Amino acid sequence: MLSERELARYDRQIMIFGKEGQERLKRSKVAVVGVGGLGSPVAYYLAAAGVGTLLLVDEQTPELSNLNRQILHWEEDIGRNPKPLSAKWKLERFNSDIRIETFVGRLTGENIDEVLEGVDVIVDCLDNFETRFLLDDYAWRKGIPLVHGAVEGTYGQVTTVVPGKTKRLREIFPNIGKRSGKFPILGATAGVVGTLQAMEVVKLLTGIGEPLLNRLLIVDLAFNTFEVVELR
Amino acid sequence: MRIKVRYFARFRSLVGLGEEELDVPEGITVGELIEILKERHPVLKNEVFAEDDDLADVNVSRNGRYVGFDEVLEEGDVIALFPPVSGG
Repeated sequence: MLSERELARYDRQIMIFGKEGQERLKRSKVAVVGVGGLGSPVAYYLAAAGVGTLLLVDEQTPELSNLNRQILHWEEDIGRNPKPLSAKWKLERFNSDIRIETFVGRLTGENIDEVLEGVDVIVDCLDNFETRFLLDDYAWRKGIPLVHGAVEGTYGQVTTVVPGKTKRLREIFPNIGKRSGKFPILGATAGVVGTLQAMEVVKLLTGIGEPLLNRLLIVDLAFNTFEVVELR
Repeated sequence: MRIKVRYFARFRSLVGLGEEELDVPEGITVGELIEILKERHPVLKNEVFAEDDDLADVNVSRNGRYVGFDEVLEEGDVIALFPPVSGG
């Protein structure tokens, strides 16, 4: 049941998906894997929307060069507070009606079952395909939706994987090159793509609209292009 | 036959064009088109597409639908090339 305070807090979005939708958000647990450029807006907007439990997963501690895009981390966190804990501190003060769980460490084939236990939706905010495929395998094994996002420079891509209904990440990106290290990125790009991912989660949980199932949204913000490619 | 090729993201920056129309031999495949594009825009060959086609780091759509390298093209097709990105 939603409290009076929650009904007031979420009044404007209850106008979109009703109290039922809001209750679904409250009952849900969403894992944000990677609490960086994408994970910041994803966690921020899902906290704002009232997703009952957020699980934040990351092994890194913020660096100065992260702050152009990773808006949940501040100067005082640099070299000090691991990203999940840094984000938890702000999000708990932003919305005290939700629960923030954290896992500081790297997801592996050995720990993933334990770490992601009980999660309803996984949001892929990672920076490498190696761990993405680990999420992809887990999502398929457990039948849990996975919202994929990735960015570089002024462009990005989003798609939602639903086991049994859509192609999986391994099929969509079979030959992904191993790019590592420093890639160009602007905060606003991560903001747009992460916000699209947060929207995907809200659509999945409340049932409104049409998630990007078997469709890949490709954006290039420098040239104002939003392309949806059919993946079937 | 005449087709349209659209370049996205990094490919657009490298080629310096959002799209272009091309005359290509009848019945070529996506893989063969990519060979033509590598000749036409060497920057793609050198900086983006893998030497081995099986490893090419490019996703292709034909008329808005995701396709593989063996897909056969037809007159009037719109082919889009986009590089998967991996940052987060």
